[in-house]
Amino acid sequence: MTATQRPAAPQAGPILELDGLGVVFTTESGEVPAVRGVSLHVAPGETLALVGESGSGKSTIALAAMGLLTGNARATGSAVIAGTQVVGARESDLAALRGRTASMVFQEPATALDPLTRVGRQIAEVIRNHRDVSAKEAATEAVALLRKVGIPEPEKRAAAYPFQLSGGQRQRVVIAMAIANDPALLIADEPTTALDVTVQAEILDLLRRLAAETGTGVLLVTHNMGVVADFADRVAVMYHGEIVETGPVEDVLLRPSHDYTRRLLGAVPRLSVAEADKAAPAAAAEAPDTEPVAELRDVSVVFGRGKNAVRALDGVSLAVHPGQTLGLVGESGSGKSTASRVALGLIAPTSGTVSLFGTDLGRARSRARRALRAGIGVVLQDPVASLDARMTVGECVAEPLRVHQKGLSAKDRRSKVAAILDRVRLPRELADRAPRELSGGQRQRVSLARALVLEPRLLVADEPTSALDVSVQQAVLEVISELQDELGFACLFVSHDLAVVQHFAQRVVVLRGGRIQEQGPTGETLLHPETDYTRGLLAAVPVPDPVVQRGRRAERLAALAAGRTEVQA
Amino acid sequence: MSTSSYLLRRVLQAVVVIVIVTIVVFGLLHALPGGPARGILGPQATAQQITAFNHDQGLDKPLPVQYFYYLNQLVHGDLGTSYTLNEPVSQLITERLPKTLLLTVLSAVVGLVLAIPLGMWQAMRRNKPADYVITTLSFIAYSTPVYFLGLVLVLVFSQTLSWFPSQAPQGDTLAQVFAEPQALVLPVVAGAASMIAVFSRYMRAATLENLSEDYVRTARAGGSRSRAILWRHVFRNSLTPVVAMLGYYVPVLFGGALVVEQLFNYPGMGLLFWTAAQSSDYPVLLGCVLVIAIATVTGTLLADIVQRVIDPRVKAGRA
Amino acid sequence: MSAVIQPGRVPGKATAPVTASGTRLAVRRFRRNRLAVVGLGVVAFFFLFCFVGPLVYSTDQTHTLLDQVNLAPSGSHWLGTDAVGHDVLGRLMYGGKVSLIVGLAAGVLATVIGTLWGAVAGYAGGWIDAVMMRVVDAGIAIPALFILLVVSAITTPDLTGLIVILGFVSWLVPSRLIRAETLSLKNRDYVLTLRAIGGTHGRAIIRHILPNSVSTIIVAATFQIADAILLVAYVSYLGLGVQPPSTDWGGMLSAGLTAAYSGYWWLIIPPGLAIILVVWAFNAIGDGLRDAFDVRGRG
Repeated sequence: MTATQRPAAPQAGPILELDGLGVVFTTESGEVPAVRGVSLHVAPGETLALVGESGSGKSTIALAAMGLLTGNARATGSAVIAGTQVVGARESDLAALRGRTASMVFQEPATALDPLTRVGRQIAEVIRNHRDVSAKEAATEAVALLRKVGIPEPEKRAAAYPFQLSGGQRQRVVIAMAIANDPALLIADEPTTALDVTVQAEILDLLRRLAAETGTGVLLVTHNMGVVADFADRVAVMYHGEIVETGPVEDVLLRPSHDYTRRLLGAVPRLSVAEADKAAPAAAAEAPDTEPVAELRDVSVVFGRGKNAVRALDGVSLAVHPGQTLGLVGESGSGKSTASRVALGLIAPTSGTVSLFGTDLGRARSRARRALRAGIGVVLQDPVASLDARMTVGECVAEPLRVHQKGLSAKDRRSKVAAILDRVRLPRELADRAPRELSGGQRQRVSLARALVLEPRLLVADEPTSALDVSVQQAVLEVISELQDELGFACLFVSHDLAVVQHFAQRVVVLRGGRIQEQGPTGETLLHPETDYTRGLLAAVPVPDPVVQRGRRAERLAALAAGRTEVQA
Repeated sequence: MSTSSYLLRRVLQAVVVIVIVTIVVFGLLHALPGGPARGILGPQATAQQITAFNHDQGLDKPLPVQYFYYLNQLVHGDLGTSYTLNEPVSQLITERLPKTLLLTVLSAVVGLVLAIPLGMWQAMRRNKPADYVITTLSFIAYSTPVYFLGLVLVLVFSQTLSWFPSQAPQGDTLAQVFAEPQALVLPVVAGAASMIAVFSRYMRAATLENLSEDYVRTARAGGSRSRAILWRHVFRNSLTPVVAMLGYYVPVLFGGALVVEQLFNYPGMGLLFWTAAQSSDYPVLLGCVLVIAIATVTGTLLADIVQRVIDPRVKAGRA
Repeated sequence: MSAVIQPGRVPGKATAPVTASGTRLAVRRFRRNRLAVVGLGVVAFFFLFCFVGPLVYSTDQTHTLLDQVNLAPSGSHWLGTDAVGHDVLGRLMYGGKVSLIVGLAAGVLATVIGTLWGAVAGYAGGWIDAVMMRVVDAGIAIPALFILLVVSAITTPDLTGLIVILGFVSWLVPSRLIRAETLSLKNRDYVLTLRAIGGTHGRAIIRHILPNSVSTIIVAATFQIADAILLVAYVSYLGLGVQPPSTDWGGMLSAGLTAAYSGYWWLIIPPGLAIILVVWAFNAIGDGLRDAFDVRGRG
């Protein structure tokens, strides 16, 4: 806001300096070190990206730098913000620092704001925490901040409660709170991870613009290499609580020196943007003449009644053919998960027909319908919720056998379970373990084993890897496609990740607001999209190459400026 | 959902609940051997007397007919006539109900005013000695039968210390009741004790849960002090589930009033009900249960509406 | 109080499942909760006291002994004697048996009824759920003490009858609880997966929903027993109690009420404390179990 309010600019030195920072968590199973001897600095006006997979300690560093660690964490070493030591500082000194010299933006906009306080008040609170202004002035300033972060009708929106705003708008409010007192340092912890890709692009543009305008130093914590390429000046790569590599963004992303960085970058699915590196599997790209294993014809789904009715799907027709993978892509609320659940028969269509293996599900008797379902395998998104924690891994995998092959002896069942565990490349011994002892990637492979134990003709996978780290995602996707080659099942693959779909599916359906925007062979549709919507979607995906991404960003902004419809977050 | 359609739906639900209550109570009263007549006329009554009584009272008609007859009377505000007091039940209840409401509302207010700060205070001192002590005391208060607590209160504060009278105010009108405020102290304390226990535990849990919410971290990151966060954000957010709980607590309060009124001889509806039970005065029993049920359902409805007012998400159907 | 709410339960989320390692973790968490461990000790003590105690400390609880009425505590009668000359300490053991048995049985019965009702309502959903829950609302709208008093005007039940009546006035709270649990469990991914591949409703309920509700049910049952013991204490006061010479703690307390004004404190303090201690102990155990299983919902 006002330049006079800026805190005293630090001497030319870094605005944030960590030196030998360590963090140890005290848990029920003893002391767990999360961060070990991390040293880094952020200079005014620069953006340092802290990247790593889950559990690498990157978010812990962000919280430690703000003195926001939870009670069971203990920090050692040094973390200095604009000359103030944070480690071991008193809470009142930290409060004076937070929101003024250093601010933070969090991952989850859904929960980051007080649900019962109007957003304008929440922003005003941060202003009044540090500046002696009247409530009225603060309210006026809050409106100005909302305008600055790109919220339409800020006067009206200031009186809104968080739940009345979209995820992107909520994140803008959190950003408005963070910049309310023109901080010298902004720490952004996965600021776009919970957002759709088009919203992500807008939020990144906003953060970049704000940081550039005020010369704010930014510590950007993220797992997304595309975001790093889009935003960062320098990169620090974390692995198991330590920094393994630091350097300018071009060096780290294009010429990584550490093994781990190379592996990490190798696992990132890259969106192909030119014909030359056409990555989509060419096989069976055109709809074959075979009878589809699953078909939705003019399906609409309406939830609720009367004024509250929500049309989740509207006239959707699609077909999955034998041996083929159909990718279903779209942003949140597009209806992609609903469509997959209709195909599974978990949601009955309000109108239209669904057929499985040539039989109309709406007409089949319940016994026949159950028999049909022996031909389906399912993998859902959440690795924790997908397996019943009370069962052993073996029991989980054997469940479809118990449903459909009741006559099977215990011995045969065990050997089938062992065989399918082999196929998903899990050790057989895992059969006797509890799901909670497994990692996320292992659990998703157990889900896959359960889905494939009956050798189904159709696999429905709803965001099967989106909760996983990229390296684990790669391994799981590899297993799926290998088994698909061996067993020849068709696959309905739901994902928000265009790059993954491009690599994995032969055909793609783009959904938006319950309607099909376009569909076709992946190679065609995702390289030469016919609709502005798909084009915008593709343009918003950041690619993990800073040079290419700079160009894409310029193109996208030019296209937006040229008057294309901008979908406000 | 709009407020009017929400209200309409909630009121309809409440009416359904009341109708079920009337069926249950009606069925319960007609399940007794010999029917209400035997209860009124006593074991010595002859068969002829019973038949005559049943005929006079319409008790020889089929049960569904009696039920609809009864419903029709209800709609016209007629709850029947007390067998023993020879007064219309509706009149008896109109006289007594305000006093019971006064007692329960006072107990609830005293209970909440003490319980809410206590629960927050405990949450701030989680797992420290003070927290353990209050938790233990809360459980003890919750575990004490109201009549035992009342008795101990009377023995200590009335018999031994002579601070307060052992009888509640005896006046017929609310003004007369208010004329003896010191006589209300012990009944209100007895009624409020378990409420303090329940709601301090409840507020403690809600506060702890809210203290670990993300928005608290956001507020801290914005430089807000702990005390400001507690009062500006955590307090309000913790209060919402407590208000919802208050709706469920209404029947407990009435149950407590039943015992407290009997114990302190306070002429409210609880005492009326108690006396009616001793003399098998079924019209009074039936009327009281119905009124208590309506009061409970109304209380729950009010709590829902209050929750809707203080939590904008509920209104939007998002919570 | 009638059984509607217990202290400090926020309606809410899921339950930690009871797996092998989950159980170990739960035991560890429970043992760290000192109040709960003390509660367990208190319950164990009272069971020994009531069921083994009479073998060691034998008293006459059937005959009226008019020559030793209302004696103050002394060397020969540690807790004195009551209005008909029974030794109060012995009577505490004798009455405790009834209180504990009725409380346990009624609490378990209420939990069983509530579990079945709530599970069916929650799993069926739709109008079946709506109707079943309106019945629960109606039940909650009449305070249990009022129902018990109406029943006492009609009949005097035997021990089994008492258990059944208490069970039937207190199943409402567990039913709401289990319904909420079922609603959340039936939309878990593993249940959806089972349904999608053609698993039956029966399988979903028996293999997934019930086993995963076990910790919630156990916690509910513990609180329910606490409530039932408290309710038993009201029963004699309301005129529904067991008939002399048999008794329970509530009966001792009611019988001693008037005598207390004459200074015979030993007639009411021991049974009063016994009730408070046992109910407190079951509540503390329930609290510990809830934290140990991470069951958050109740109410």
